Amino acid sequence: MLAQATVNGILLGGLYGLATVGFSMVWGVMGVINLAHTAFITLGAYVTYVLFERYGLDPLLSMPLAMASMFVLGYGIQRLILNHVIRTSLLLSLVVTFGIELVLTDATVLIFTSDVRSVNASYASTSVAVFGTLVPVVRLLAAGLSLALGVGFFVFLRRASLGQAILATALDREMSNLMGINPQQVFALTAGAGAALAGAAGSLSSMLFPVSPTMGVSFLGAVFVITVLGGIGSVEGCIVAGFLYGLVQAWAAYWLGTSFQEIVAFAMFLGVLVVRPQGLFGRAFFGEHA
Amino acid sequence: MSEAAVLEQGAKASTMRPLVWAAVAIGLLVLCAAPLGISSYWLRVLTTVLMYVIVTQGLNVIVGITGYHAFGNGVFFGIGAYACGTAMVAGLPFVAGIALAIVMSAVCAFILGWPILRLKGHYFAIATVALNLAAVQIIIQIGGITGGAQGLALPLSDWDPKPLYIALYYLMLGGAVASTAIVAILLKRPLGFALRAIRDSERAAAVMGINTTKAKVYAWAISAGLTGFAGGVWAYWITFIEPSSAFDPAVGVKAYIMLIIGGMGSILGPVIGAFVLEIVSTLVWSGFLKAHQLILGLLIVVVCIVAPNGIINAFARLVRSVRRNDGAA
Repeated sequence: MLAQATVNGILLGGLYGLATVGFSMVWGVMGVINLAHTAFITLGAYVTYVLFERYGLDPLLSMPLAMASMFVLGYGIQRLILNHVIRTSLLLSLVVTFGIELVLTDATVLIFTSDVRSVNASYASTSVAVFGTLVPVVRLLAAGLSLALGVGFFVFLRRASLGQAILATALDREMSNLMGINPQQVFALTAGAGAALAGAAGSLSSMLFPVSPTMGVSFLGAVFVITVLGGIGSVEGCIVAGFLYGLVQAWAAYWLGTSFQEIVAFAMFLGVLVVRPQGLFGRAFFGEHA
Repeated sequence: MSEAAVLEQGAKASTMRPLVWAAVAIGLLVLCAAPLGISSYWLRVLTTVLMYVIVTQGLNVIVGITGYHAFGNGVFFGIGAYACGTAMVAGLPFVAGIALAIVMSAVCAFILGWPILRLKGHYFAIATVALNLAAVQIIIQIGGITGGAQGLALPLSDWDPKPLYIALYYLMLGGAVASTAIVAILLKRPLGFALRAIRDSERAAAVMGINTTKAKVYAWAISAGLTGFAGGVWAYWITFIEPSSAFDPAVGVKAYIMLIIGGMGSILGPVIGAFVLEIVSTLVWSGFLKAHQLILGLLIVVVCIVAPNGIINAFARLVRSVRRNDGAA
């Protein structure tokens, strides 16, 4: 049983990590706590649901489409709204993104109603044996793809010139501007990429969890804890902290009972904030523009 | 804001003062007389507005004056509600429940403040959100006299509903006036000056000999006491509380938005913010039952873009620019 709980926790942790990467990057690069982030997770899941229900498209094939549409949405919101707000006060962005979250979630309810939907791929009920435990294929796929996307984004940031522009802006906004990088453009790109990764996480979780307008919000606690645990703005931190979080949750449920899961998570969160606010992999300069 | 603008505003404030006092007096008279002439629906709306005035003034102390953005200050609303609720279920009178609500909230802020107020900026903001969310789980785990996940039913009053609701309205009105007075007095006291110094530069304040940790903890305790009072009265008003409604993060967030609308750190700003947002959202609610959250969200976004320093400031700026154009012509 313990082995089963451990494997499940680790696999779910991969998905949590992916759901957090975009949030953490946006916070690290421009100091915005994007409360609308979870709405991108929900919308990503709905894109997958609609394509599956209408056209029978496999969730794994519709994931790129969910990512593309969330990229456009995230990019647009940053360009049209948030870029104007962060010029005045960073903490104002908390309130604005709260408002955006209200709009997106309510729009989801109006379009899709609050009924709970599900995406059942043909392989949804198959399981494979790993180290003597039974693992559902969809969970394995979700964790594997999450890890791949997270690593891919990490490499993109380090290798591609666009990624390096994002990192440079996070390091020193004024200096990167002098080097010919347009911060407004970088912000919009970061927000778009963050939303796309959240969309991917939503797309993958539609195979594991019921799809409803509030499914994204259920990630909010995990997203906050993992961001702070991994270190704000650190992709590798997010991935590692995601697995750690999944593991701790699974063990808390196993040893103490499911009702203690959230208490353990919040205790972890407050503990990290007080003892090591920069997180496991965070560096002092990230997220300190506020 | 430039120095010239500040001076100009200061000069204007002194000529405006009698006008402001007159407006406050008229507003108070209207609010005192209101229960005589309005339906029970609008009495409920106004009671909610006054409750938010108290919560927003509480938030003003820590956010507006001290500059610590307690995004999850709603936690003290819940603590107040539960302190009053459990006290009354245990057989204590309402007055004792309210006193306990204030004291419990202030003590919690005092104890939690020592570690948490060391955090800065965003970190402090999200730590308070975590407190708010954790409180829900803690109440569920405690169970027993708090009722846990099932919620807690408060003893019913033996008054008739109508006079009871009017009495609670006046209690909220008294609380709103008192909290506004507390903010006004605080701004004139040494603690108020210390807090504003911390807001503008914590390091400089420390160099000037202010015990910043102590000042911040006191500020948060005052903030929590006010918020706890509102929570305690609210609990008795709706008579049934549960963790998810008493510790609803939306309470703190809504107060934060009201504070932005009204203008941070001012005395009357929170009052205006609470009235504007609560009445507008009530009207939106009744007009667009299905899409009210969508419209509320849009409203928040628009306010933040158009008037990030509060609508009073935005209005004053508009008036100034109109006058300047007149002068030029």
